[in-house]
Amino acid sequence: MITYDAIVIGSGITGGWAAKELTEKGLRTLVVERGRNVVHRKDYITEHKPVWEFPLRNARLSVGTKGAEAYPIQARTSQFRESNKHFFMPDRKNPYVEEKPFTWIQGDQVGGKSLIWGRQVYRWSDLDFEANLRDGHGVDWPIRYADIAPWYSYVERFIGVSGEKLGLPHLPDGEFQPPMEMNAGEKFVKAGIEKVFPDRHVTVGRVAILTQRIGDRLPCHYCGPCERGCSTGSYFSSQASTLPAAQATGRLTIVPDSVVHSVLYDAATNRVTGVRVVDAKTKATREYYARLVFVCASALGTARILLNSTSTRFPNGLANSSGVLGHYLMDHHFLAGASGHIDGLLDRYYQGNRPNGIYIPRFRNLGDDASRRDYMRGFGYQGGASRGGWGRGGSQVGFGIELKHRLQEPGGWTFNMTGFGECLPREDNFAALSDQTDEFGMPVLRIHCTWGDNELSMRKDMAASAAEMLEAAGCKDVRTHDANKVDALGAEPGLGIHEMGTARMGRDPKTSVLNAYNQAHDVPNLFVTDGACMTSSSCVNPSITYMALTARACDHAVAEMKRGNV
Amino acid sequence: MIHDDRITRREALAQVALLLGTAISTPTLAAALDAGAGDAWRSPLGWVPRTLSPDQLELVAVMADHIIPASDTPGARGAGVHRFVDALLTDHYPADDRQRFLAGLGDVDARARSRQSKRFSECTPVQQVAMLKEMDEAAYPSGGDPSERPPETWFFRRLKEVTLVGYYTSDIGASRELRVNPMGLFRGDIPFPPSGGREWS
Repeated sequence: MITYDAIVIGSGITGGWAAKELTEKGLRTLVVERGRNVVHRKDYITEHKPVWEFPLRNARLSVGTKGAEAYPIQARTSQFRESNKHFFMPDRKNPYVEEKPFTWIQGDQVGGKSLIWGRQVYRWSDLDFEANLRDGHGVDWPIRYADIAPWYSYVERFIGVSGEKLGLPHLPDGEFQPPMEMNAGEKFVKAGIEKVFPDRHVTVGRVAILTQRIGDRLPCHYCGPCERGCSTGSYFSSQASTLPAAQATGRLTIVPDSVVHSVLYDAATNRVTGVRVVDAKTKATREYYARLVFVCASALGTARILLNSTSTRFPNGLANSSGVLGHYLMDHHFLAGASGHIDGLLDRYYQGNRPNGIYIPRFRNLGDDASRRDYMRGFGYQGGASRGGWGRGGSQVGFGIELKHRLQEPGGWTFNMTGFGECLPREDNFAALSDQTDEFGMPVLRIHCTWGDNELSMRKDMAASAAEMLEAAGCKDVRTHDANKVDALGAEPGLGIHEMGTARMGRDPKTSVLNAYNQAHDVPNLFVTDGACMTSSSCVNPSITYMALTARACDHAVAEMKRGNV
Repeated sequence: MIHDDRITRREALAQVALLLGTAISTPTLAAALDAGAGDAWRSPLGWVPRTLSPDQLELVAVMADHIIPASDTPGARGAGVHRFVDALLTDHYPADDRQRFLAGLGDVDARARSRQSKRFSECTPVQQVAMLKEMDEAAYPSGGDPSERPPETWFFRRLKEVTLVGYYTSDIGASRELRVNPMGLFRGDIPFPPSGGREWS
């Protein structure tokens, strides 16, 4: 019998954090990862590879193209390319039933999606933590900003976040390294927007990418495509940051290729006792035991494991006496915004590949004059400016020497922005076990998730307000876009890759799965700290909030262990 | 303000790719700046097309080299665009796109036969350019909405796109015709000389 102090399911953004915190607090910790091992540096097989060395020149492998055959779902995201397909889950390994269009993007390796994430990090505020209570959608968060603020600082100092302080109450400042620079087109649009709309702000993205060294992690060298892996550890990933810290304690064990089938539960003590695992290669079953279990398997992965962990006490899924496990699934809706051209500035350019853009913080429904009545909550924008590259030649008349000379110089400036909008928590957006099983003998999820009227109304404003601001800033040929289609792919739920909310936190065990410390109401030694725990979605990128909640939950769990309560 | 539904997803996805830092993959400075240009057009030893016939391969090479000809740097043929097109057709295109592209090549020869009673590759360069000009002007009608290109011109637009991709992502196109954006520093707002200069590939 192999026994540990703690088991962490998953090694991605939150699993890595749980491993670091628990091992540093003295716990012998086992991290169980369903994907293959990926070794920092050694396994970044496409890093810095020149584009001409890729047979398809780093093509975007879209659905239906050759090269994407094994990834019919993963290929839906524009992030999926020839250069990083090896960091995505081959879809046969985790199929699911789509009752409505829902795109589930997954990593399949140690480090999970931390290797390929978008790296944008924004603190939540009480505008977010009080949202459910204020408008009655979802249940009240059991925490407020003051509870998590010190943990944001703790996380930011460790992972390294570059950004600009704005002093906004609804987008709190953090422990920032110096921000990256804007280009001339972005400065132009910023000046134009802030002049016409004094209460709106254009800032460079706050990113988990170093502009100053932290230990052996070096400042960004601006090669561009972070998603291939970073040997200098300049962006936060489990490999670069949390797992080495956990490893340094001598108390970490990682087992890759190990698919967690279920969490083991002992009714006599009302404690979880470990996990049942299917070996991804041999399909053999084995068990690991521990005093504490942290589930960090991603919002949907976690829901699936808990739903599949049934017992006499919990016939509908572990710690699911409330019945809400799997429900209140959310994602951010995006791909609605606008673009426009900027006249002039042809004497300005940039050098290096900044893996970051600009951010426009939420300005709707802040409780002031900007409030609107046709939808609740709000959105922020991400975007950026650039000068036209050689690709513009493909949409213009002309060929020959004239074209070649024309494309040798950069084209005019374009500014592009898309909103990321908050999604209301709804009971009828859910994941449940289907009657089909996968190659590991686990029931696959069926997922039912749609945008509601609130999201659809908000999208209209996301596009219209973007155009209004670009026109006010003096952009030309302003065009709006909205990729969403009813019951079809376009901007379907899941595509934002911010899926969350299937095992929500709350004050009442009858309506929530987790308490204020991410601890299951029903089972004291079971914690869930990935996106599953989220009670509402805010409109900002969620990962840093998951990290802060994880560190906070680990602190609580170990304190409770020492008190003899866990 | 114009609302355009047709190009929304592509534009929007490109936008997200941009902000996530993946808009254009970034070659490194380690680019071999001195890749022998003199015989770069020669196919590597043992290379054979897998989808295109020898005649089709030559047809692609001839047309691509008119689209991006040699100047002070090699053109599309020198950069091996025709080999890239064969790789795309074989390893990337869905079957219906591949068939459509091959049919487009056939149409080009049919056009040449009706004009000059010869295959396209056998026409004089002046005749070839005249036919390409016809196709180019039909494909991008002046004043037309960029999202409403005539569907019958799909082949030429696709040919032009893959020629540009194949050329400007080749070692020659990326690091000699243009400049590889060097890694190291990011300088967000620097002067661009009035006398012009090469863009980052």
